[in-house]
Amino acid sequence: MERLLINKDNIASLPLVSEVSLDTNSFNNEEMIIKANQVIDILIDDLSDETNLKINMQKDSKAHIAILSKNLLKHFEITANLEENAKIEVFFADFSNGESHNKVLINLNKNNAKAFWSLASLTNGKDNKEFEVSILHNSTNTIARSDNYGVCLEEGKLVFSGISSIKKGAIKSKTRQNAKIMVFDETANGITRPILKIDENDIEAGHGAVVGKISDDHLFYLTSRGLTTLEAKKLITYGYLKPIMNGFKEERMKEEISSLVEKRV
Amino acid sequence: MGKLEIKNLHASVDGKEILKGINLTINDGETVALLGPNGHGKSTLLNVIMGHPRYEVTEGSITFEGEDVLSMSIDERARKGLFLGMQNPSEVPGVSNSDFLRSAVNSRREKPISTYNFYKILDAASKEVKMPFDLATRSLNEGFSGGEKKRNEILQMILLEPKICMLDEIDSGLDVDAIQVVADVIRKEQANNRAFLVISHYARLFDLIHPTRAIVIINGRVVIDGDPSTIKRIDTQGYEFIKTELGISIEKEEPEMNKVSLGSCAVREAIK
Ligand SMILES: Nc1ncnc2c1ncn2[C@@H]1O[C@H](COP(=O)(O)OP(=O)(O)O)[C@@H](O)[C@H]1O
Ligand SMILES: [Mg+2]
Repeated sequence: MERLLINKDNIASLPLVSEVSLDTNSFNNEEMIIKANQVIDILIDDLSDETNLKINMQKDSKAHIAILSKNLLKHFEITANLEENAKIEVFFADFSNGESHNKVLINLNKNNAKAFWSLASLTNGKDNKEFEVSILHNSTNTIARSDNYGVCLEEGKLVFSGISSIKKGAIKSKTRQNAKIMVFDETANGITRPILKIDENDIEAGHGAVVGKISDDHLFYLTSRGLTTLEAKKLITYGYLKPIMNGFKEERMKEEISSLVEKRV
Repeated sequence: MGKLEIKNLHASVDGKEILKGINLTINDGETVALLGPNGHGKSTLLNVIMGHPRYEVTEGSITFEGEDVLSMSIDERARKGLFLGMQNPSEVPGVSNSDFLRSAVNSRREKPISTYNFYKILDAASKEVKMPFDLATRSLNEGFSGGEKKRNEILQMILLEPKICMLDEIDSGLDVDAIQVVADVIRKEQANNRAFLVISHYARLFDLIHPTRAIVIINGRVVIDGDPSTIKRIDTQGYEFIKTELGISIEKEEPEMNKVSLGSCAVREAIK
C-alpha cells in the first residue's frame, strides 16, 4: 500500500491510525501535532540538507518514525515534546555525507511518556558528523532508551554526545543510553561522550559507551574462509548496522539500506 | 616436492619468538598428528600458515603446491585450498552464519551458487555434522556452545572442500558422540585424498582417524617427526621421555593465550 504523503494541511485530518510519508521540506520549522490517541507511522525517505522537525505529542498518542538520510546533510534537528502516555520511536539510518551537527531533544514531560531512539550512522570519506542526542525525563514513570551505533571509515569523524537526564521527582523513571562506534581505518575517528545526569534516587539508569577497532580476529576468521577483506568488512558493517532495519517496514527500504552499505564500505 | 613445505620457519608475536625454525612437509593423502605441550607453538604454526596478522614471520618459507604462501593474502590462501578449523572460533555478532557461509562458498566459484543449491548443500552438511539447521541461520557463532562452534568449523570444512585441513583442538569441548561425528567426517574426507594436520591432546580422536605420521613441537621446533606410535607413547607417558631420550629440556608450560590483549585506554576496547 502506498503511504499518504503528509503536509501541514492534511495532517490535521488524518484518520486515528495511519501510515504516512513525510517530505521534510514541508515541515521544516513547522510544528507537527500528533493528536491525542493518534497512532502514526511516518517514513522519511531522505532528509533535506537542513531539517528542523518539531513534534508535539498529545496524550496517549504514538509515533513510529523511520528516517533514511542518504545525501548531503548540514543540519538535522528534531525536538519532541511528549504528554502523558505518549510514545515515540525513532529509527534513523544515517548514510548522509558532509559536515553536520545534529541535535535530538526529546522531552518526556508527563507521566508514563516513552521514547525509543535508535541511530545507525556510517561515516566515510571526509565526513564529519556529530549527533547530540538528549532525552529529558521531566516526569514520573518515564522510560527511554537511546541506542547509537556508528561505523567510521577512511577519514570520517563521528561523535555521539548528548545527555540523558532524570529530574528530581521523576520517580520510577528508567533510562538507558548506549553508544558504540566501530573504527575501520587508522585515519578514522570515533568519539562517544554521552552523559547521564540523575537527580532522583528512585529510578533505573544505565549507560555504555565504547569505541573499538574492527577486530583482527573477526577479519581473520572471515577472510580465512576465502572472503576478501572488503567482503568481510561489508558483512561485518552490515551485521553491525542491521538492527536499524527493524524500524523499516518496507522491503524496498531494507534493500536500499543494504545497498548503501554495499556502496559505502 | 611436498604439497605443503615449511622450511626453517621463525615467527614471533609481540616481539617474542615462538617458532624457532620449523621444518615440515605434508603430502597429499597424509594425516599428520601434531602434538606438544601447551604453549609450545602448535596453534601459532597453524595461524602462521593461514596468515593471522598478529604473527610476524621473521625467517623461513612456506610453499603450497610450489607457490609462496607467505606472499599471499589470507583469502588467497583459503581459495588455494588451505583451511584452519580454529581452536577458539570467533563470535561475530550480527553477521548471519548462512550469509557468511554463502560468501565463503562463492569465494571459490566463478558464478555465485543459486539459493536453492546453497541450501541443499548446507542442509546436507548440517546433517553430516548433526548440527541443528537453525544454527546455520543465527549470527555467526554468537551464543553457540563450545561444541556447536566446533561443529560449525567442520561444517565449513565440508562446504569449502579444502586440500589441506588444519584442525586445532577440534575435539576439545566435544562429547564422545560428537567426536565420533567429527571423526566420521574426517574419515570420509581422507578418502578424497585430502591432507590433514590435526592438533589434539587426546588419543581418542587419533584412534578414530588413524594418522599416517606424528610430529611433536617443543620450544617452537619439531623434535619428533615419525610414525604414529609416538601418539600412544605420549598418551601413556607424557612428554617426559623426550627429555631423557632426546636430551631436550622442555621450557615451562605457559598458560595459553586465548584472549587478545587490548590497548591501554579504558574506553577503547575491542568490539566483541
Ligand atoms: N595472540 C597472541 N598474543 C600473545 N602471545 C601469544 C599469542 N598467541 C600465542 N602466544 C604465545 O605463544 C606461545 C605459544 O602459544 P600457542 O601457539 O597457542 O601454543 P599451543 O597451541 O602449542 O598450546 C605461548 O607462549 C603463548 O603465550
Ligand atoms: Mg593451541
